[in-house]
Amino acid sequence: MKRAEKLTWVERLYIPMIAQGVWVTSAHFFRNLLGFITGRRRDFVVQYPEERVDYADAFRGMPCLVQLANGKPKCVACGLCEFACPTDCITIVAGELVDDNIERYPEQFDIDMSRCMFCGLCEEACPEEAIVMSREVEIAAFTREDTLFHKEQLLVPERLLKRRLGFLRAEYDRVHAAAE
Amino acid sequence: MEDCGSGILQRLIAERGEHLESTHAQHGDATALLRPESLLEVMRFLRDDSELAFNMLTDLTAVDWLDRAPRFEMVYHLYSLDWNHRLRVKAGVPDAPDAPAQVDSLCELWPSANWMEREVWDMYGIRFAGHPDLKRLLLYEEFEGHPLRKDYPKERRQPLVGPRN
Amino acid sequence: MSEAAQRLAGDSRGDLHSEHQVLNMGPSHPATHGTVKFLIELDGENIVSLEVFVGYLHRGFEKECESGSWYQAIPYTDRLNYNSAILCNIGYCMAVEKLLGIALPERCDWLRVLAGELSRLGDHLTRCGAACLELQAMTPFLYGIEARELTWDLQEELCGARVTSNYIRIGGVKHDMPGDFPGKCRAGIAKIRALLADFDKVVTQNRIFVDRLRGTGIISREDCIRYAVTGPVARASGIALDMRKDEPYLAYDRVDFDIPIGEVGDNYDRYLVCVEEMHQSLRIIEQCLVALSRMGPAPVNVADPRVRWPAKDGVFNRMEELIQQFKAVTEGPMVPAGECYQAIESANGELGFYLVSDGTAVPYKVRCRPPSLINLAPLPLMVRGAMLADLIPTFDFINMIGGECDR
Repeated sequence: MKRAEKLTWVERLYIPMIAQGVWVTSAHFFRNLLGFITGRRRDFVVQYPEERVDYADAFRGMPCLVQLANGKPKCVACGLCEFACPTDCITIVAGELVDDNIERYPEQFDIDMSRCMFCGLCEEACPEEAIVMSREVEIAAFTREDTLFHKEQLLVPERLLKRRLGFLRAEYDRVHAAAE
Repeated sequence: MEDCGSGILQRLIAERGEHLESTHAQHGDATALLRPESLLEVMRFLRDDSELAFNMLTDLTAVDWLDRAPRFEMVYHLYSLDWNHRLRVKAGVPDAPDAPAQVDSLCELWPSANWMEREVWDMYGIRFAGHPDLKRLLLYEEFEGHPLRKDYPKERRQPLVGPRN
Repeated sequence: MSEAAQRLAGDSRGDLHSEHQVLNMGPSHPATHGTVKFLIELDGENIVSLEVFVGYLHRGFEKECESGSWYQAIPYTDRLNYNSAILCNIGYCMAVEKLLGIALPERCDWLRVLAGELSRLGDHLTRCGAACLELQAMTPFLYGIEARELTWDLQEELCGARVTSNYIRIGGVKHDMPGDFPGKCRAGIAKIRALLADFDKVVTQNRIFVDRLRGTGIISREDCIRYAVTGPVARASGIALDMRKDEPYLAYDRVDFDIPIGEVGDNYDRYLVCVEEMHQSLRIIEQCLVALSRMGPAPVNVADPRVRWPAKDGVFNRMEELIQQFKAVTEGPMVPAGECYQAIESANGELGFYLVSDGTAVPYKVRCRPPSLINLAPLPLMVRGAMLADLIPTFDFINMIGGECDR
């Protein structure tokens, strides 16, 4: 790697370099201004909460439970996500159903969002596709008690999770295609 | 004593074989287990010998084998910039209630040992004889115990430290 | 004794200014990006001695790893160097793979190189951008951070998260890159190149910036070796030390790139080395994209049942796979007893993992060799006798990252 040992006299004068710097920053300014006037914004800043960006397909937001069309959770309370979770933020209490062919369901399913680190290991461990990473990230709360999410808060109808489930299922197909 | 096909171990055994307890080259990492009393001498040889020339002490740590004797094991990773080869050196450190774990400091050979030895003192409570400034590195002075020891429970709470001035 | 130190000695013998001033700087100082405290002894504006206090971000990473299974430590490695999380993932997973004796599929090698270089790019952009900010140059900081946002957008496309990627798995990666990723990546690279050019125009030959950096924070080649300094700091001092070239891992022996070497070892050299490394990273990413698109669909995980969780549709429909999944999650991989040390070139230098297994599913010891901590140790040497203001760029270009330094 070469480094210029001495600055040239133009650079030492400093004024031309200021002009160059001003030129670069004004170019950014006028480009952004033009975009602002014409309505095709080119600046990088997003005016959150009014504007939002669309997250990538692979995006992992807060974990949530898939709710079937009959209103029940898809979860069978097997406890694999509890095992996989590195921070032990999931608590499951299983209940038994006598009149249903599913037999087990989560009586209580709590995720402590102040401990959850959105790593997605619960989703990878789940054998039922019952816990998935949603696109929800706005989960701030005023008290610590409010960061403990219960089953009712975590349940999300399956139709609202189409994009994540579609992404996951496409991945299974790709694994198959690659193996063959 | 086997050289495990490693030229480094071969040379070390030939020159300082009497100070070694065992050698192995598991997963391709040449390793020599030393007698702790000859640590400084062998390390000096490893650094100054022109065929080995381990001029960098890359890493220094300890392992706590709670039920074994000696309880602790110092682990040094050496790297030679000239020859682009590596060696792991280990030395057992016994720990007894009347004689707490202590090993020679390598600060005079490699200054990089300074902070890493402070970290080992911090985490394992092994003293380093000849260290210029042995105090805790990552934790604070009022911390009780040495957290990476296997008999330190993960859930243990520490007393609250009040304002100092 | 340096000239400044001689002047100091003269001053302290005289009647005037005979008392040194002690200054506490930090732990949370606006001119340092990193939580660290300096106890500085000053004579006027010159530093007589300096003591560094680290550990404000200590979270017990190594202790935490000793209580979970091998795969549960991967998300924690994200939190080591949070500017280049994927490189920390790679370091840890490669060390576990070495213990297990796993050879990776070729596509996984390339994906890891691609993800790792994106990560390195983000780290260097933060380092150069934040250094400018702390030298009161706000505009280049914004360009650098905008370019970093672009690398993070690409990481989000690839891994699912911007910072805490959790992308690498033992024996592979989480999933293959999305189909439209190469196109997005090329568009991103073009934008990053334009921003780097703007960055370069604003600061590289700017007299104020050059005067602040040139000749400050010099560390000699010999001192680098004695203090085991690695990474861009060592390369700026003229040591051709780069794990990617010296001990090629993954696909680095199949990509074409150069490592920049400095001459003097001052801050300006470190800046130039970092900028050049960013261009080299962009080159590597382009080569990865070419290699990956040429390869076509191929497995990105080893088929080893010890570490590979069974395919999900099998888990949904068949009993054997379901049982296998239960075993894999509740137990985790059983790693044979032994020890190994695996080093990779992270953005700050040699990131090593020394692992000890006692043959169970829980690591017996996980030691992370943090390059920032070890590169920070010679800081008192680098600024002794210099002006207090020179401490800022010197500390910036060491790029101490609290998460990795304090673990």
